[in-house]
Amino acid sequence: MKDMHGLIFAYAGGGGTRLKELTEHRSVSSLPFGGRYRVIDFMLSNMVGAGITDVGVIMRENYQSLLDHLGSGKDWDLSRKRGGLRLLPPFSFAGKGPYEGVFLGSMAALFDITSYLSHIRQEYVVLAEGCLVANLPLEDALRHHIANGADITALCTPRRLGQAECACFLQMDDDDIVTDIARGRDMLDTTESLGVYILSKKLLETLVAHCAAHNLYDFERDVLQGMLGTLKVSGYVFNGFAARMSTVASYFEHNMSMLRAEVRASLFLKDRPVKTKVRDDTSTYYAPAARVSNCLVADGCFIEGDVENSVIFRGVRIESGARVHNSILMQDTKVSAGAILGYAITDKEVVIGPGRMLMGHATYPIAIGKGSIV
Amino acid sequence: MRKKECVAMLLAGGQGSRLYVLTANVAKPAVPYGGKYRIIDFPLSNCANSKIDTVGILTQYQPHELNAYIGSGLPWDLDRLEGGARVLPPFVKKQGGEWYKGTANAVFQNIEFIETYDPDLVLVLSGDHIYKMNYAKMINYHKSNAADCTIAVIEVPPDDASRFGILSTRTDGCIVGFEEKPREPKSNLASMGVYVFNWKKLKSYLLDDDQNPNSSNDFGADIIPAMLAAGESLYAYRFKGYWKDVGTIDSLWEANMDLLASGGDISDLNIFDPTWRIYSRPNSAPPHFVGAEAQISHAVVSEGCEVYGSVENSVLFTDVKVAPGARVKYSIVMPGAIIEEDAVVEYAIVAEDAVIERGAKIGGDPSGVPPEEWGLAIVASSVTIGPGVVLGPRAMARCDIR
Repeated sequence: MKDMHGLIFAYAGGGGTRLKELTEHRSVSSLPFGGRYRVIDFMLSNMVGAGITDVGVIMRENYQSLLDHLGSGKDWDLSRKRGGLRLLPPFSFAGKGPYEGVFLGSMAALFDITSYLSHIRQEYVVLAEGCLVANLPLEDALRHHIANGADITALCTPRRLGQAECACFLQMDDDDIVTDIARGRDMLDTTESLGVYILSKKLLETLVAHCAAHNLYDFERDVLQGMLGTLKVSGYVFNGFAARMSTVASYFEHNMSMLRAEVRASLFLKDRPVKTKVRDDTSTYYAPAARVSNCLVADGCFIEGDVENSVIFRGVRIESGARVHNSILMQDTKVSAGAILGYAITDKEVVIGPGRMLMGHATYPIAIGKGSIV
Repeated sequence: MRKKECVAMLLAGGQGSRLYVLTANVAKPAVPYGGKYRIIDFPLSNCANSKIDTVGILTQYQPHELNAYIGSGLPWDLDRLEGGARVLPPFVKKQGGEWYKGTANAVFQNIEFIETYDPDLVLVLSGDHIYKMNYAKMINYHKSNAADCTIAVIEVPPDDASRFGILSTRTDGCIVGFEEKPREPKSNLASMGVYVFNWKKLKSYLLDDDQNPNSSNDFGADIIPAMLAAGESLYAYRFKGYWKDVGTIDSLWEANMDLLASGGDISDLNIFDPTWRIYSRPNSAPPHFVGAEAQISHAVVSEGCEVYGSVENSVLFTDVKVAPGARVKYSIVMPGAIIEEDAVVEYAIVAEDAVIERGAKIGGDPSGVPPEEWGLAIVASSVTIGPGVVLGPRAMARCDIR
C-alpha cells in the first residue's frame, strides 16, 4: 500500500458564520458534536484509520480551542518521533507573497506552507475539510485513485449536504471520470463533493506553484473546475453517512440524526474507531427517579430528571424534576431542578437555573452561548 | 538518575483465586470495576494524585492483559523521563532466579531497581483494594513520627476484625502488636496493606528475611512481626474513608453496588470528585445510546453501551448491549457482554464478552431462598448461555451452556 499524508483545512469554511453563538469562540472544526467529539475528530480519525501517520492541520482564526483540543496529537496516536501531528497556524512574513497577505482560499493557504509541503515524506496527499462528519474508507479511495490512473480523486456522496451555494457538484461518466463540475448550483444527476481530495505530492506542489504564479487561489474553482480539461479527475462515491455543519438548524439536525441506529452504525466502526481528547470522566450515573429515552449520552453525566430525544455531552448534570427534550447539551451543562428545556442547544458550561423554561422549535432551535447562566 | 524521596512498589502479582473464573485469565488487579475502571486504577491514580511519580509494578500471574493495560503509564500521568510506571516481572539472574515467593520476596528481588533512585522511603501498595487515599499525608505523618515503618489502618466492625491483619496501638499511634486474622481480635484497627518504610531499614530486614528458610517472605506475616520483635518504631496511620478489599465475588459485587450508592452521595467513595480523579486507560467507544423503550434507574452506564431493555441497581461496563425486553437487576455486566431479547439477569456478574441469549435467565432474588443456598450467579468471560437456559442463584458458568 502506498503512503498518504493528511492535510486538514480547519478554518471556518463558507458556512461558518451562520453558526452564530456556536462559532463565536471556535472554528467549525472544533464544534462539539455527537456527545463526546469535536467535528475535526472524524477527519483525524479517518486519516489515522487509514494508516496515515503524518497530518498537518491548517488553521486561520479562532483556533485557540482547536489548539487546546489537539494538543500533541497523542489521543489520536499522532505524537510521533518523526512526522505525527503538525499544527499550521497562520504566520505573517516580512516579504509579501503573491497573495499580499490577504486570505483568499485553499490554494493560497497551501502556498503559505510551501516549505512544509516540500518536506512531506509520502507519495500521496489527502486534502480534507475539517468540518465534515463521516467515517471514510480513505485507503480504499487511494486504491481507486491509483487503479483509475487519476490525477485527482474527489470523494463524493449521492446525498446532499445542504447549503448548495458553498458546495461543489460532480458529473461522472461510467468509469467514474468527472466530466463536469458545478459550483454553487445543484445540477441534476450529480454527486456532491465531500471536500476530500487525493492527489500526488508532486502534482500538489506543481499546482500550488502554478496558482501562485497566476493569481489563482481556490482549489475547487481554479484547479478542479479550471483545469478539468487538462487534469484527469476521478470520483469515488461514498454511500455512508456524511454531514457538514453550516447553520444552527443543520447542526441541530445532524446531531439529532445520531439518535438513528443506521447513522451510528455508519460512523462508529470497530476497526476504524473515532478518537477524541481523553477527559477521564466516570461512567454516567442514573438516579432512581431518572427517566431517559431515545438519547445519546456520554460519560461523566449525572442524571436525576427526565430526558427525551436528546444528545448529552460529557459531564452534564440534570437535576431532579428537570425535563429536557429534543435538545443538545454540551459538556458540563447544568440543568437545575424543575427547569424545562426543549429544542435548545446549550454550549459548554451553561447553567439553567431552577424552574427556568426555554423552548425553541424544530426548525428554529435556540442556542445558548458558552458559559451563560440562565 | 536523580534521587527520588519515595518510590512506590505496587504488588500486582496476585492471582485472586477467590474470584474464581473472573481471574482465570487475568491477574486480580486487572479485574474490571465500576464501569470503566480496573482495580489497579485506584492505587495508580492515588499515586498520581499524591505526586508519587515512580511506581514499580510487581507482576507475576497472567500478566499480559495487565501489562498491556499499564503500557507506558500515560493514562495515570506516569509516563516520565525519570521514574514513571515500571512493570517488574520476576527475572533470571546470574545465580538462578525464581518466582516471587511472597510479597516481601517480590520487593527483595527488586532491590536493585529501588536503589537506582536512592530513595529515603518506599511505599508498598497492594493492587486489590478500592479506595482513594492521599499517600503524601501518610508520608508526612511517617516523617513527623520519625518512624521506621508506618502502616495505614482503618476501623472495621468488631465482628469482621478476625478477617484482617489487626494492629494494637498506644494512644499516640505507636504499634505494639500485630496479629494476622486473629481469632480474638484485640482491636478493630485493620491493616490496609499500605506501608511506608524507611528504605535502609526495610532493606536490611529484606536481606535477613531472605536468609531465613522458615519465612514465608510476606510483609504481614514476616517483616512486620520481625520489626516489632526487634523494637523498631512502627506507627499506625488512621485512614477515614471508603476502603474495600475486592478479593471475593461477593465483595467485588458489593463494591460495585457501593459505587451506585456513591452516586447518591451515600458512601464515602465519591468517585465523581473532580479533585481526586480516578484515571483509566481510555477506549474509543462512542457515547452510550438509550432506546425509546429503555428504563434505567439507579445504575451506572458506560460508553459504547446500547440499552433498549431495563436496567436497575446495576453497573454496565463499556460496550454492553441490553436488547429490547431484557432485564438487568442488581448485577454487574462487564465490557462487551450482550444480554439478548427477553433475557433476565439478576444478582449476577456477567464477565467480559459473555452472551446471554434470548430468554435465558441468570441468577435470582435472595428472597424465598435459604441464605446458605443463595449466592450471586457468575458467567465467565466469552461464555455463551443458550436461549431459554435457566441458571439459578450461585450458578457459575465456566463454559458455554446450550
